[in-house]
Amino acid sequence: MTYRVFQLWKNQAIAGSTALLAFCFLQPGCQTAPLEWNEVSAPPPTLRRLTQEQYRNTIVDLFGEEIAVPAQLEPDTAVSGFLEVGASVTTISSRGVEQYERAAYELAAQIMDSEELRQQWVPCTPQGSTDTACASQAIEILGLRLWRRSLEETEQQALVQLADNSAEILGDFYDGLQYAIAALLQSPNFLFRVELGETDPDHTDTLRFTNLEMASRISYFLWNSTPDEELLQAALASELTTETGLLNQIDRLLESPKAQRGVRAIFTDLYQLYRLDNLAQDPTLFTHMSPDVGPSAREETLLGIESLIFDMDEDYRTLFTSRTTHVNRTLAAIYSIPAPSKEGFALTEIQDDTGRVGLMGQVSFLALNAHPVSTSPTLRGMFLREVLLCQNIPAPPSDVDTSIPEPSGNTVTLRDRIDEHLQNDFCASCHQLTDPIGLAYETFDALGRYRATEGGAPIDPSGELDGAEFSDATELSKLIANHERLGPCLVEHLHMYATGHELTTGEETAHDWLADEFKRGDHRILSLMREIILSPSFRQTALPAEEESE
Amino acid sequence: MKLTRRTLLQGMLGGSAISIGLPVLECFVNSNGTAFASGTGFPSRFGLFFWGNGNLPERWNPVGEGADYTLSEQLQPLQEVQSLISVISGMKVFVPNEVPHMSGAAGILSGSSLDTSGGGETFQVPSVDQIVAQELGGETRFRSIEVATQPSGGLSYNGPYNTNPPEQSPFALFERIFGTGFRAPGDEPIIDPTIALRRSVLDAVMEDVGRLNSRVGASDRIRLEQHLEGIRALEFQLAKLEEDPPNLAACVKPGEPFPEYPDIDGRLQLSAIHRAHTDLLVMALACDQTRVISDYFSSPVNNTLFPGSSAGHHQLTHDEPGDQPEVNAIVVQIMEEFNYLVSQLHNMAEGDGTLLDSCSILATSDVSFGRTHSLEDFPIIVAGAAGGYLKQGIHYRSPTGENASQVLLTLIQSLGISVGSFGTEDARATTGLSALEA
Repeated sequence: MTYRVFQLWKNQAIAGSTALLAFCFLQPGCQTAPLEWNEVSAPPPTLRRLTQEQYRNTIVDLFGEEIAVPAQLEPDTAVSGFLEVGASVTTISSRGVEQYERAAYELAAQIMDSEELRQQWVPCTPQGSTDTACASQAIEILGLRLWRRSLEETEQQALVQLADNSAEILGDFYDGLQYAIAALLQSPNFLFRVELGETDPDHTDTLRFTNLEMASRISYFLWNSTPDEELLQAALASELTTETGLLNQIDRLLESPKAQRGVRAIFTDLYQLYRLDNLAQDPTLFTHMSPDVGPSAREETLLGIESLIFDMDEDYRTLFTSRTTHVNRTLAAIYSIPAPSKEGFALTEIQDDTGRVGLMGQVSFLALNAHPVSTSPTLRGMFLREVLLCQNIPAPPSDVDTSIPEPSGNTVTLRDRIDEHLQNDFCASCHQLTDPIGLAYETFDALGRYRATEGGAPIDPSGELDGAEFSDATELSKLIANHERLGPCLVEHLHMYATGHELTTGEETAHDWLADEFKRGDHRILSLMREIILSPSFRQTALPAEEESE
Repeated sequence: MKLTRRTLLQGMLGGSAISIGLPVLECFVNSNGTAFASGTGFPSRFGLFFWGNGNLPERWNPVGEGADYTLSEQLQPLQEVQSLISVISGMKVFVPNEVPHMSGAAGILSGSSLDTSGGGETFQVPSVDQIVAQELGGETRFRSIEVATQPSGGLSYNGPYNTNPPEQSPFALFERIFGTGFRAPGDEPIIDPTIALRRSVLDAVMEDVGRLNSRVGASDRIRLEQHLEGIRALEFQLAKLEEDPPNLAACVKPGEPFPEYPDIDGRLQLSAIHRAHTDLLVMALACDQTRVISDYFSSPVNNTLFPGSSAGHHQLTHDEPGDQPEVNAIVVQIMEEFNYLVSQLHNMAEGDGTLLDSCSILATSDVSFGRTHSLEDFPIIVAGAAGGYLKQGIHYRSPTGENASQVLLTLIQSLGISVGSFGTEDARATTGLSALEA
């Protein structure tokens, strides 16, 4: 984001939040009361394991781009549709322990082998192979950054002793220090985000996250990585439990290029774009299919979102109606548009009448929600309902024959063939929600190429969405963009992402307030991210529930 | 007499070739490593072969029962090992079929319904491989080993949301088992001061877990307990480095597999990857690196393009009309892979018999008829003799749709594990399947 655009955004954001009341008076019928702390009750905390990307980002942010981060780490698992929720409920397997150990030693060796990193992290010259005081200084600095908090006395002592013992046996100070670094990196205090809260002096009946915990929460939310020195210092100065202190840091973090990485991580999780790595369209059927398609498609979508948020500061809804997008040669070929003159991505305007507008005109949506050889109106419809509108579609019942007829004389197109889903009451109860809207995109094949006909028969892309009729994909995308559930759904999902758990009853007030605010502020995502952090639901927690005693 | 590692080493230096005072294997194997000296046979081993999306029951179920039966079309690939396997048909998985595929997977492998509370999907109790590993896994370097050919998260559960993710690359699997840290029979124990240092690091990490444990809620304590379990397992692996490796005649360090198996025409090299996995798993058993293996060939709902098929597997199960020749061809390919596993276990000599003799292998899926997600007439094959406990070479067809958990209970008991039941609620079985017991 350029400085100018950022300033522009900042002015708007301020108008939309701190100076919200003033801004509000300009709009008729606007009544915004700030959300009170005690209107919300957040659930007890859970440990959140660093995702693979968070682990990588954290190491690179601390030790530099040069460092090689081992790729084999505990895999991430989506729960309730989100890797971030999975990180709050899954654990570390035995295999994961092995992988983290190996990674820890590879990293510790790289850190201690680099003259530059040694100087950065060991602020003293060791006197001999063992030097307790020097080891202690290094461990204190490393500990603060790796565990995102100061070490306690016993922890510090244990690690220093480990470094000393190792140095003595190996006859080298830095070799010894590697073992303390390896211990820091394998500790649950590094691998999990430990955010447990403290009694809130202003509201003694609730817990709030501590200053240092807030530093981690903000930084992993906005940067998908560990806090930097300045954020930790702000936390140590107790600034992150005040609104002003928070705002200062949020602004600073959003101004950093790392925020783009954060936004990418958010939408990769929200739209399940990580699944594009395993795109399996049959290349013998789709001549444009190659291993390059999935990653290219993800990049297209993420560049679009980045540009929407940071360069243009536009309304979230334009993501679904925009006629401009970023394509490389791979995608240009699929979209049948002129390829960029240079390698890489270029901003392009698609001005044909194929209905290729917005996110739903992209391979990310069209191919990800299709079968390897054919389209699936059901999968496409489910994405619209579940991911964009937060409407849950029940799993199909078991013991039902789910087959659809083959193309024949009268039933050529998929619309004709899946008519059964909609004629049979039993099937229709759910398929009525997904198929009619999914069918709007039948003019795009399973890879996302435009087609006017299927098996020689014309494709009818018309239908209706919750009572509103549309004649083709362009119109449906517009209806989605203006759907009353679209904004509240993004708020809900972003809240889930930020907190690592599904919205609980005690947080509903916060959700509704944020959704109103999002709408009132014309659907600006950066404002929403900022408001989520300021929301009591992001800053509060509760005492752990003691389940049945063991 | 109290034997310590020191007295033992002194004994060896004194020219004695007898290994005493070491854990069970070294202790009981005779000097050639060809059999347990006590005559009690080799250790019990458990294996799971799992594939997704089921079968076509009409083309799967054999004709005839007992020892005198004819393999069906889909089971043809198992012809050469027919005398080593038993086919169980007509059994039913007794869990509510709420989530197509995953309910069946949870039902057959854990004997319990899928937990869908809170928007997620998880087994609520350990899967059979981990129940078995609890008993068999304590003495080997790896408590259990999981692999997946078609990439997936596997179905090995220690508890809710607590899985053992499978290795997906043959090369990574090789590195893990036979890379640094593996010693072939006859190798000297490793004397390396860094092993002790790594263990002291793990001790420090365990202290961290312990301190954290006292500050978190009940559900996080369970998660940290699993972390601890993993650390203990790694400490155990390190301790093994300092011991004599098991003296087993069949154990040879295998060659490295290819670093990568790139897709061909956009299709996974399913068979090549699976066979590379299988060779390593079989040798891992022969070298007693583990006694529990899970071989996830493919996962529930997988839409993999199989060689020769015109659409993804899952889509075909639902959309292919008529008697589904393409689905049929896929099931046959999968059975060829199961045949490879059984054959390789059988080809590995151990003592006077083969590795398969001490194994209890379960092959199964997440549904029977994929098109309807049926949990009736479930596909189950058992291979191996489990040291003579299991009957081989028969087809048992349940006349009444008995509880599939009975088979699981028999398999667990066949390994010498004394448990009285498998599964919970309707799927709970308290008696095994006697027809399968020799």
